[in-house]
Amino acid sequence: MSDADTRSLPRIVRNHRNAFGLVLAILAALTIVVTVVPGGREVVADVSGVITASYLASAFRLAVPIAFAALGGIFSEKAGVINIGLEGLLIIGAFTAIVTLHFLPETTAIWVVWTAFGLAVLASAVVALLFAVVCIEFKADQVIAGLAVWLIALGFAPFASIIVWENVNSPSFVTFSSVSIPVLSELPSIGRLFVATPPVFMLVVAVPLSWYVLNRTTFGKWIEASGEDPKTLDTAGVSVRKVRYAGVVLSGVLCGIGGAGLALNVGQFVGSGETMVDGRGWIGLTAYLIGNYNPIGAFLASFLFAGLDALQIQLQQIAGYDVSSTLIGIIPYVAVVIVLAFVGRTRMPSEAGEHYESDE
Amino acid sequence: MSSGGRGSDGDRETESGGSGGSSDADRGRGGDWRNRGRQTLAWLVNASAVQRIAISLTALAFAVLVGGALVFASGFVASCRQPVIYIPLLGESCYNPVEVYWTMLEGSFGSLPNLARTLQETTLLLFTGLSVAVAFRAGLFNVGTQGQMVLGALATGLALVPLGSVLPDSVVGMLVAVPIGLVAGAVVGGFWGFIPGAMKSYADANEVITTIMLNFVATGIAFYLVSEHLGDPGTGSVQTVPVPSVARLPPTVDGSRFSVLALVGALLVAVGIFWLYDRTILGYELRTSGLQESAAEYSGVDAKRNVVTSMTLSGALGGIAGAIYVMMVHYRWQTGMPSLGFDGIAVSVLAGNNPIGVIPAALLFGGLKSGSFAVDFALGVPGELVVVLRGLIILFVAMPEFFRMIGTYYDFGDQPETAAADGGERQ
Repeated sequence: MSDADTRSLPRIVRNHRNAFGLVLAILAALTIVVTVVPGGREVVADVSGVITASYLASAFRLAVPIAFAALGGIFSEKAGVINIGLEGLLIIGAFTAIVTLHFLPETTAIWVVWTAFGLAVLASAVVALLFAVVCIEFKADQVIAGLAVWLIALGFAPFASIIVWENVNSPSFVTFSSVSIPVLSELPSIGRLFVATPPVFMLVVAVPLSWYVLNRTTFGKWIEASGEDPKTLDTAGVSVRKVRYAGVVLSGVLCGIGGAGLALNVGQFVGSGETMVDGRGWIGLTAYLIGNYNPIGAFLASFLFAGLDALQIQLQQIAGYDVSSTLIGIIPYVAVVIVLAFVGRTRMPSEAGEHYESDE
Repeated sequence: MSSGGRGSDGDRETESGGSGGSSDADRGRGGDWRNRGRQTLAWLVNASAVQRIAISLTALAFAVLVGGALVFASGFVASCRQPVIYIPLLGESCYNPVEVYWTMLEGSFGSLPNLARTLQETTLLLFTGLSVAVAFRAGLFNVGTQGQMVLGALATGLALVPLGSVLPDSVVGMLVAVPIGLVAGAVVGGFWGFIPGAMKSYADANEVITTIMLNFVATGIAFYLVSEHLGDPGTGSVQTVPVPSVARLPPTVDGSRFSVLALVGALLVAVGIFWLYDRTILGYELRTSGLQESAAEYSGVDAKRNVVTSMTLSGALGGIAGAIYVMMVHYRWQTGMPSLGFDGIAVSVLAGNNPIGVIPAALLFGGLKSGSFAVDFALGVPGELVVVLRGLIILFVAMPEFFRMIGTYYDFGDQPETAAADGGERQ
């Protein structure tokens, strides 16, 4: 879709083409379900019945890995390094969190879980740093190196699980307990939203914070310039290399939080199949493409996909729907394919994927 | 040598694979994922044969070294009855990496059944490796071979079932059934490659992203169809009814699931693709259409259509891998197919994306996969080791600067990326 085609559209639609396209696609899908599919009307009635505060709370919980991966991808790619290894970083984070719990004494003491959380973030950040070295110093093709990060993590986590537990899946561990926000959690009906595990609250903070950092701080401007116009940034005396390292490592930190949040919410690492991360990093990538590199938009897309996931779980429990689970699971992937193909291109940082060499 | 970007036409960014030395003003505006494929591994395609082999062997050696270190280190954590080594302060390690790799070698080539298992893997990897390589030759990165294979396998599994009651259980019947199975796999796999190809050509959607996403969609659709509609009602697993014996490729080695017919077929396909891409005008057009769209268009070639053709061909090869898997190995479609499609990326990358190079790369990787069973069985080292090696191989091959440093150090010939021929955009 060229700029000329869209010039006639209202400005708000033009600026948020992807989001509007997504909403249109969902509305179209809903219309089909209601009118064509037999019993579709009842399904929609059931669906609207399960959307409650506790449903939204579980959507927030499921959004944690997706949205953190999306935020990480934004920082890295805006700085000029395409990081498609988000999925791998989530796996590293999830595995490290649980393996740390294994080696620490089994108590309910709060420091144990937080140590696990911290080491998971550290591990993910270290892997991201290695990825940055490979991309920046060794000039690796970023897409292939990112894919390698995923594939290595996909092999390493089950490998190490078998070494540690003699099984690709870990046993269950004591983990985060829910935290309630005083007063707010007492509120009728929506109070349930204010009782959650720490990673959920961290997400609520991280999204606006990321937006603020990217749009209102000097560091954010460096990140932007590093991906859009590294030469100018270099001329201004800021090291493009350092900014790119910062962007990639930050993506590792954020993915570490997401992966640890995922595993510690469950209290177990599952390494079978595509591991417990199961494509959430890829959904995170789709979320920031749909959100067009905006942390808020990326979060909303993540939340939408997590909401679909939660919906599927609830529908199975309440209405006994079974058919939908797999098909609902592929909606995010179909959505991003449709968005990429029919709605519009995402505006990628112009120098992302390119190596930059300072002239000095 | 960084000549700066060629002029951009409209909103399409032309390739600019060089480093920051090129003029930014010449770069097109509004870059997007779609142009990534053009420079993907271009340096490998353009390296000389000797360089390519040196690069692949070095990457393999480093992957094996890192994998060995991983195995050794994990030996300190694992519990076993007979530790192989004791290091003060660190404790006892269960695994000796040299023994692990030796067992792997023995387990892949040491006996006739082992060799048959290796060649079985090799046959499948030839198809998935060629699938990835065909796309790479045209400057396209098809990460979707896995999904194309899964859907191709399902199509083959479903198409063959009714043939059991129609065809005589003889060689004649097989001569009918096997082509039907292959065509079913190729058509559906090809269709699943056509989608991202068409989206790339006509909607500017980057094929890396779309093929990754379509993998998940393919797995989901196949799972849904089999678990809800087309599955074997007699079992609790998500699988189809077994294919009739007329559609099963006869094992060449007793007790194995390897047919030399399939291997010969795979080798012929590899040679055929080499011939197509390096010796025919169509192959030349397919290559240039992906690598240099504007140049191809200028010489009157429909570059967009050729990109679609390349992706469809790539998908069809992935689909055939699935068909062979059903007819030779598993005799039915079942959920949780092995990740041969991702292995194909490693095979192709290791082969420098050369169809003939895919042959030794597939054999090597087939040996690794087959040997991992023995390593798991005899030494208790998890077979997932090969999955780690797969990732490491891809990672190492993707680092041109790494090899240039090694190359400078040992002084073997030109630096690979100076040999760029695709418009001279590489530095």
